[in-house]
Amino acid sequence: MLNQAIAKLQAWFPAAAVHAHCDGPCGVYDPSSARIAAEAVLSMTKKLVDLEVPAGGDKAASVAYHNTFARYTAIKEEQAQITKDELLVLWTDYFKPVHLEQFPDLHDTFWKAAKLCSACKVEVSVQHANELMEAVQKIHGIFWATKNRDVSWYTAS
Amino acid sequence: MSLLENHLGISPQPPSQLRHSQLTDLVLWLLRQRRRFRIVGASMLPLLEPGMEVLINPFAYGQQRPQPGDLVVAEHPRQPGLLLIKWVVYIDADGCFLRGLNVVESTDSREFGLVPWVGLVGQVVCRLP
Repeated sequence: MLNQAIAKLQAWFPAAAVHAHCDGPCGVYDPSSARIAAEAVLSMTKKLVDLEVPAGGDKAASVAYHNTFARYTAIKEEQAQITKDELLVLWTDYFKPVHLEQFPDLHDTFWKAAKLCSACKVEVSVQHANELMEAVQKIHGIFWATKNRDVSWYTAS
Repeated sequence: MSLLENHLGISPQPPSQLRHSQLTDLVLWLLRQRRRFRIVGASMLPLLEPGMEVLINPFAYGQQRPQPGDLVVAEHPRQPGLLLIKWVVYIDADGCFLRGLNVVESTDSREFGLVPWVGLVGQVVCRLP
């Protein structure tokens, strides 16, 4: 009988809502977007280094060479900036003070990774592009560790 | 044990039961010593189902701090006015770390960090009825 009275009260006077849900924006983060861009940086850097200079006097070959060189450079520049943007979003939006306790070198890791993005734009350096990939892999490991998930590292290329 | 718990050297147990209300709880509610809330969302499954009602004690943390394992209602640190129901994982000098039971569905301290003491609205004491 008491429960019936409660049920009536509940029906007549709705209770305030208390939320046990994902309130959105849902905070979907994944370092794989940085990884894909960093892979493009490494790929373009390697292609730039391997690009053969055409023989002198061949105008058409020279035009094609410069066009290809410019395109590779533009893509490298763009993808390095995307890598940097993706990393900065993870750093500033996903990671919280509690993660810093867990990974004390978090700030240093992101700072160095962002610096490598800049280096990959300024230079045509396979070494720095590889170091950028290593930095993104390290961040991948930290990120998934904070989520207690075992997500193995892989690359598309 | 999660890395976080491992790091802190603790393994707090999430709440697994919530008793039904008794006559005393109803009297306290009528005397405005309890507040009534209805659950919206699935982040506290399997313990709290959407649509279920609970009573909270808004005065529970006036004198004492929450304990790990407590069920609490708290205000979202970045969305004033949005009330959340979560459980306390651990207590820090600046506030407490809250989590949902159904972690896949939950937005909690993993995302918004510690909830400051002033953000705590009260302790969940029982379901209604």
